[in-house]
Amino acid sequence: MTESYFDWTRKLFDRARIFDKPEALRGIRVLELTTLVLGPTTADFLGEFGAEVVKVELPPGGDTMRYVTPEATYWQNASLGFFPTNHSKYHVGIDLHAPEGKELFKRLAAKSDIFVENFRAGTLDKWEIGYRQLREANPRLIYVADSGFGQWGPFSQGRASYDAVAQTVSGMIGITGFPGRPPILCGIFVGDWFGGLMASTATLVALHHRNKTGEGQFIDFAQSEGLIRSLDWTWVRHGLTGQDRGPAGNRDEAIVPADFLACRDGFVALAAGRDEEFQGLCVAMGNPALAKDPRFATLEVRQVPANAEALLALIRKWAADKSRAGLEGLGEKHGFACCRVANAEDRYRDEHLRERGAVWQYDDPLYGPMVEQGPAPKLSATPGRMRWAAKPVGWHNEEVLTRLLGLSPGRIKQLEEKKVVGRWADRPGAKPPDEWLKAHTEPKEQS
Amino acid sequence: MTSEPHSWPRYAKEITDPALAHEKPEALDDLRVLDASSGNFAALFASSILAEFGAEVIRLEPPGGDVARLFSPQGVKHRGTGLAYLVEARNKRHITLNLDLPAGRELFARLARHVDVVIESAKPGQMDAWGVGYRQLSAANPRLIYLAFSTYGQFGPRAASPIPDYDITDQALSGTPYTTGEPAGEGTPESSVPTRQGNWIAWYIGGGWGAFAALTAVIWRATSGQGQFIDCSPAEAEMRFTDYDVHWYHAARRTRERLGALNVSVFPYTLIKTKDSYSFIAGFSDINWAGLTNIIQRPDLKERFPTTKTRIGESKLLHRELEGWAANLTSQEVLDRVQDYVANKRGPGTVASARLNRPSDTLAESHWWERGVFEKIEDPDYGELLLQAPPWKMSRTPPRIKWACRPVGADNEMVYLKYLGLGRERLRTLKAEGVL
Repeated sequence: MTESYFDWTRKLFDRARIFDKPEALRGIRVLELTTLVLGPTTADFLGEFGAEVVKVELPPGGDTMRYVTPEATYWQNASLGFFPTNHSKYHVGIDLHAPEGKELFKRLAAKSDIFVENFRAGTLDKWEIGYRQLREANPRLIYVADSGFGQWGPFSQGRASYDAVAQTVSGMIGITGFPGRPPILCGIFVGDWFGGLMASTATLVALHHRNKTGEGQFIDFAQSEGLIRSLDWTWVRHGLTGQDRGPAGNRDEAIVPADFLACRDGFVALAAGRDEEFQGLCVAMGNPALAKDPRFATLEVRQVPANAEALLALIRKWAADKSRAGLEGLGEKHGFACCRVANAEDRYRDEHLRERGAVWQYDDPLYGPMVEQGPAPKLSATPGRMRWAAKPVGWHNEEVLTRLLGLSPGRIKQLEEKKVVGRWADRPGAKPPDEWLKAHTEPKEQS
Repeated sequence: MTSEPHSWPRYAKEITDPALAHEKPEALDDLRVLDASSGNFAALFASSILAEFGAEVIRLEPPGGDVARLFSPQGVKHRGTGLAYLVEARNKRHITLNLDLPAGRELFARLARHVDVVIESAKPGQMDAWGVGYRQLSAANPRLIYLAFSTYGQFGPRAASPIPDYDITDQALSGTPYTTGEPAGEGTPESSVPTRQGNWIAWYIGGGWGAFAALTAVIWRATSGQGQFIDCSPAEAEMRFTDYDVHWYHAARRTRERLGALNVSVFPYTLIKTKDSYSFIAGFSDINWAGLTNIIQRPDLKERFPTTKTRIGESKLLHRELEGWAANLTSQEVLDRVQDYVANKRGPGTVASARLNRPSDTLAESHWWERGVFEKIEDPDYGELLLQAPPWKMSRTPPRIKWACRPVGADNEMVYLKYLGLGRERLRTLKAEGVL
């Protein structure tokens, strides 16, 4: 093993070789009937690792996320909010209120391994395309029902939910921010995203079970319950001491020092929980004696709130006139953690993230150069990948209905005329870019 | 089969009630995991997920215990262990091993031959330099799945960084805090800053992605017979969740900024002050906005602000209007009015609302207890503990908590005997030598 570790890892994970490697979920088909973020990400994450995802939308408007875009401004007639949750999917428009639409949908479900939906509890059962109906035709199906409050229980019936409902009811907002200040929303749709990850993880577990037994199953996932799971020591402390957790600002109550620091050109996060890291920080501060101060010498004494506050005051003062890069460099040198509070531009321009594919660039046939956050974990043998960007409503109707259901172009046309199968509305968010529309306007009747 | 819509919740409960989980099989009971991470709750959450689904997880700590047992609010301990660790030690066997010593590393390599997944959070290159990284372990066990957590990852220009991995620095790099918090000048000087989530969200997201990745690797291994190396940065894990921030910069060179209780894309999707607390309220699509203006009996607002664009443009004014309406209502009354409209279909549109919960409020709601979201565990070593249960309800292979935690090294005898044939005398010697 003469090759240096980092030369070896560079080759092992080389971004340029990703498309030459296999995909873990190749051959798995996911059918989704979802909107906004929770449901679409459940399917999207599986797609990133090789599953084929067929996204059914109700034409002509489709997924509500097609209309959630910053400052309500569209880009090439697309919502920026729709891209991060829909990669490499096949977009099909089917009217599920029409009996023929239901039939088409059931045929797709019969050919799928996984089905993901995020309607309010019981909706699809009422439409007769729920778990009880679909599993009759396909007992191997893994049915994932995403929701705000679950499929059963007092809050489950008739109550709408969004990401921020989950943030609110879970207690997450209640433990975030500064004491005495109005509550704030997380800057991202964290309950949806984390929920999508939790739901897709359980789906993989179900797939593993199915590979051994042939049995599909039903998964009831509620995004509020995902966030409750993520609230670390909140509940166990309540159980042992009765203490109700509240907001504590940016400092970490369990790891000291750990806080955000204002510096000359922005903010950094700093953490030095282990005693040797703290000693390094004291050296960086030019005050090695601080590490021997009886108030600070061990993590256990630093965790005492008065000591923590005293220490953090010293650290804040020290950091105030330093730069972000200077502080990060001191962390590297002295072995404590210090990282910038990054914004979108920082990440977009970060060579490290580009090389790792954490910022993922590709060339989409419809939208041109795309830059997005790439697959999160990096796998050496079966790396995740993004192939193409989200497409307008019904973009892949022919592709899917012909390849999966064997329909002829003529039959698809009939279904389109009957409005069972449909395409995009003439509306930004649903339709293709103007350039494309101009180039593809059909000449007027000439047969 | 004919459908009976009214019985859906009953049926769904019947097939997924976690109270019956112990009667059903575990999906991952064919997997063995060795978690050798240090002070890292991303790694611990990853192994918790696998353990909840039935994997045998062997948690390896240095003699004396992992520093993760010390990460606790105000340093509070319960029977010698910090509170955060009590949550993420579930269903795990606990052994000790000193990886600083060559003899400890040799035992580690031998244990790694017997497992499907190794988890670690050492500085990138550290395990390799010790001769127990993926390169060396996979030579003896090609089916091994090796999951490593670090802030900057195992490759790339900053991979050799020696910084330890923490939630707060992962959150900072992810981009989420930059867009979270009160805008500059709107709150106090202390509070108008980028704001982190109060919980260890980056660690939990990182751990979730780690478990997800390991499971994809398990599925692929079933057909290929090959293991692999998984490089998981909790910072990048959370980055994947930052909505359209990078897209917006790419498309328009715009950087998303902090908006407190507002959202840059839609209105209303916000928190409002009520008579007794705060409430979240949403009705942002045009039809749902129509519903909300019906509920608050302000059709004039629908007329004046008919589109998302017009509502975002005046979101501060509209926020004040909503707070004016809620000023004489409790959060429960806000929710009751919303539910009366939605559940009885009194008009078009769907509106969502929720009362802002402190954790004690959540614990007081029967919904979560009925669904088994919280459990009071009677742990043989740690007594009665209130824990958040696994968040999934599954019909065939539900997850479960079997026990909460084990003392440091409590399973040394069982694990070292079972996998390496080391008896009590040998363990005594190793302990005396500081290896265990």
